[in-house]
Amino acid sequence: MSGAATTSFASLHDVELSRYAASGERKAFGELVRRHGSGVRQLLRRMGAQPAESDDVAQDAFLAAFERIAEFRGEGTFAGWVKRIAARQYLRRAQKDRRFGGFAADDAEAALEAPSGDVDHRIDLDEALKLLSEPERLCVSMCYGAGLSHGEAAEALNLPLGTVKSHVKRGLEKLRAQLAPAGDAILEGRRGNG
Amino acid sequence: MAEADFERRLERMFSEAPGLPDSETFAERVERRLDRGWTARRWLIGAAGGVGGLIGASQLVMSNLYQRVEDAGQSARALSQGLSRVTPSTEIVSAISGGYGVWIAVGLAVVTMGFAIARVIEEI
Repeated sequence: MSGAATTSFASLHDVELSRYAASGERKAFGELVRRHGSGVRQLLRRMGAQPAESDDVAQDAFLAAFERIAEFRGEGTFAGWVKRIAARQYLRRAQKDRRFGGFAADDAEAALEAPSGDVDHRIDLDEALKLLSEPERLCVSMCYGAGLSHGEAAEALNLPLGTVKSHVKRGLEKLRAQLAPAGDAILEGRRGNG
Repeated sequence: MAEADFERRLERMFSEAPGLPDSETFAERVERRLDRGWTARRWLIGAAGGVGGLIGASQLVMSNLYQRVEDAGQSARALSQGLSRVTPSTEIVSAISGGYGVWIAVGLAVVTMGFAIARVIEEI
């Protein structure tokens, strides 16, 4: 690989980088990791993983993505594709450790107490997610963070579709109460900070 | 706010996660693991190729290849003598089909192996 190619990777689009990676160019894949590593790790933390675990799972997910890079054809975003891989890996790992029990829809009832709803108290998404029950946080993160459909999330979690839908519905209600309307200001501020 | 608007906003918030301070270190760690896997795979393929080559070479020796090549060379020489009566110049044909042919093949094999080794060294 030439030095010129190395320096130009930073200016390439994700799809082009993935093509280079598919031809065995590991530096091109490294650039993809640089771009999306934080997003994947953040998603795993939002799903409930501890920082060290999120790093481990994210690493495994990127390595798995490199092995399967030829399957990525640029139909969606690369970030979304890796996040789906990472979310599934995290679930498999957690299920293997038997960390998640059966997430029956009724389990969430206890956590259904109304959030404070104090709109003056501005909290960001991470803080808001902490107010959700574990199954709600997982289902919401998988559907809105990893981009899985309700059906795909149900399959990954090994839960009935209706159960996932009700977890998502409850989670959204809580998040809406916490994030609206002050969340817009937070979001804009974050975007401004790059 | 409409349901769909809130869902879009939520997706946006998820996708706009702030960069972590150790993102460079994380990327380097992934690259190192990729390189390790790649190197191990290359050695594995090289070792498998070496073993395969040894087995192939031993099979060739055991099948009395040299004698067969000699026989083929004699047949080719006889053929080229016959052809020389028909065509004006058959030096090249006889050189390739005779004993020289084996040496040309060996030379080509050495050059090919040289290219292969150079490529492996470049990869390393």
